[in-house]
Amino acid sequence: MIAPLRFHWRLIQGGDVTGKITRDRVASEAALPEIAAQTAFCREAEQLGIDSVLVDIGVGKPDPIVLAMVLATATDRLKFMVAHRPGLMSPTLFVQQVNTFSTLASGRITLNFVAGHSPAEQLYYGDNLPHDERYERMREYLTICRRLWSGETIVDFAGRHYRIEAGRGRTPFVAPDRQAPEVYLGGGSGSAREVASELADCWLRFGDTVENIARESAPVLVNGSEVGLRIACVTRPTRCEAVRVARALLESREIHRRRESEAAFVKGSDSESVRHVYELGESEWLGGCIWAGAVRALGATSIALVGTPGDVANEILKFRQVGISQFILHGWPKWEEMRIFCREVLPLLKSSH
Amino acid sequence: MTSFSDDLVDGPTASRADPRKPLRFHWSLSQAGNPFRRATQTEQTSGIPAFQAQLELCRFADEYRIDSVLMAIGFARPDPIVLSAALGRKTQRVKFMVACRPGLISPTSFVQQINTLSLLLEGRVHVNLVGEHTPRELRYYGDWLPREGRCSRLDEFLTVCRAFWAEEGGEVNFSGTYFHIEGGRLNTPFSIGGRHGPEIYLGGNSEQSAALAIRHADCLWRFAEPPGRLAPAIAPVVRSGTEVGLLVSLIGRSTRDEAVLAARDLVERLGDSAHDAQLNFERHTDAAAFRSTFALARSCDTGWATSNLWIGAVPFLGAPAIALVGAADEIADTLLEYKAIGVTQFLFTGWPDDKEMTFFGEKIAPLVRERERIEAHA
Repeated sequence: MIAPLRFHWRLIQGGDVTGKITRDRVASEAALPEIAAQTAFCREAEQLGIDSVLVDIGVGKPDPIVLAMVLATATDRLKFMVAHRPGLMSPTLFVQQVNTFSTLASGRITLNFVAGHSPAEQLYYGDNLPHDERYERMREYLTICRRLWSGETIVDFAGRHYRIEAGRGRTPFVAPDRQAPEVYLGGGSGSAREVASELADCWLRFGDTVENIARESAPVLVNGSEVGLRIACVTRPTRCEAVRVARALLESREIHRRRESEAAFVKGSDSESVRHVYELGESEWLGGCIWAGAVRALGATSIALVGTPGDVANEILKFRQVGISQFILHGWPKWEEMRIFCREVLPLLKSSH
Repeated sequence: MTSFSDDLVDGPTASRADPRKPLRFHWSLSQAGNPFRRATQTEQTSGIPAFQAQLELCRFADEYRIDSVLMAIGFARPDPIVLSAALGRKTQRVKFMVACRPGLISPTSFVQQINTLSLLLEGRVHVNLVGEHTPRELRYYGDWLPREGRCSRLDEFLTVCRAFWAEEGGEVNFSGTYFHIEGGRLNTPFSIGGRHGPEIYLGGNSEQSAALAIRHADCLWRFAEPPGRLAPAIAPVVRSGTEVGLLVSLIGRSTRDEAVLAARDLVERLGDSAHDAQLNFERHTDAAAFRSTFALARSCDTGWATSNLWIGAVPFLGAPAIALVGAADEIADTLLEYKAIGVTQFLFTGWPDDKEMTFFGEKIAPLVRERERIEAHA
């Protein structure tokens, strides 16, 4: 049985409301919370029927769990998909932070585990593990978290990266319908897929051709985990207009710098999917209305569904046929596109169920 | 790593103790809503925050100009950073003194969490570093370092954090035994146009704690002792320019007799189960601060270390229950007596907190301020 479709949206960052494209990949405005705008965005997302907002992690961003806690106090139903890089704190402490959040916001927290995509950035945090070992550490970390959430009162664990004796916490995970937060795990490599199949509720990946996505998702789906796509969309009344809006992104005065900054980032990244998507960026279209035209300037998350509401809905249904059940979206303009998508595309998907 | 004693004059320069500066008062928040704090085994306490009761105490603190509330850390409590984010958005003035155990998180991640919290709370964040605790509990978190190692790790942790908070900014590079940071930077600052980093508090009665505080902290927390005993112990810290603060409970009433009755009543109400909880804690702690206060309590038959400093509840409620007991003017006098030997800050606990904070805010604090004004003009 295929899980019902669910839609999430990436939280707007500081500086996003102005809609300008910044010259650097790590824009300094994004590091400053813009709490009034972000709160208004979350309230609207909640009304539009968005399931959760993704709160990113990175050296250029505020800490996601602290920011999400504040946004949660100003919303009622919206969930917060908090990104987390395991390895930078004790798993017991992390569970304590997540559980504390849950008690203060009726369990409205889900987790997006990512292994980190830049060895240089990991070193800012004092982490020097290579790519595959980061996944091995993530496996141990997530195993400990899962056991702490499973209701075991005392957790003993001895692995290569963690040794816990009688691990416990007094603050439980509190939610109306769950004993543990929903766990998403992002990453395109074989290691990421394996850990996701084993320990996550949903494997998250970047956009790609439908065929590639179908092939790579199959083993994860067989194991019973869901698969979600992190992808953008540009929906307009005509296909022509949508394509014009998408291509206009590349006419920004800063775009040349962004291309340089993105190329440098990809060169320094040890993420397989970041490099793979950069390769895809050689073609403008990946079939149907899947657009890869901005990948080499704006990164892997900029693969976008570009077209009319009908085009975008059809493409989503094609993904659905190969087993994709969740979408983490963003678009341009960052706020307006959420409105357009929810008002124009969501009804088409509901009627085709 | 240089030895601590070489660095006696190397404290942060922003925090020189100044007798003309008014005393600063903080309050312990974590057990608000639980009238029997510490009287039960931690195994039995609930880790679900009593949010409304805590929010109410924070609002009292806003009203009575308490500088900050201490957000303690431990397996039996909610996480202090996340809880501060929720409480902070519903208060205006009070700051949040967030406790941290350095072995459990990357210093860079910690700074990123603290800076985010501070930006969201208009800079209303201090940090309180905890180096000493029960090794058994640290292993719940995967931390196996013995006590000696924990001290030098705390030193490294604070060195890295302070580099991220330094006014001059720039890349952070550090290579030590416990942390190796390369090219570190964070785009999220502690504040925009205000302080570059939080005030750093550090607790402990040991000489190592004092040396670490001199090196890294704005203020050293110690448990209260009679002023005569305390003065020589804190003299090197005071001389270095790092402030000294006292952790102490308050039992203030309209008259001394009433206060003494309230103190005795407290012990009677809490009884033997509290005593067992404390023995259990004492057995498993390696913190010098706790052990020395327990020893002081056992050496003193009458329960009174001075005419106002009562240690009768320590065997039942632990070291934080060493209390200033008396009428408002007596307690105000005692606070100023501590100020005269160099103590500049106090972290109070009350039984219960809301009533005690009201008494402090309405009766004791005005007397302290009045006497400080008189002294400033003398």
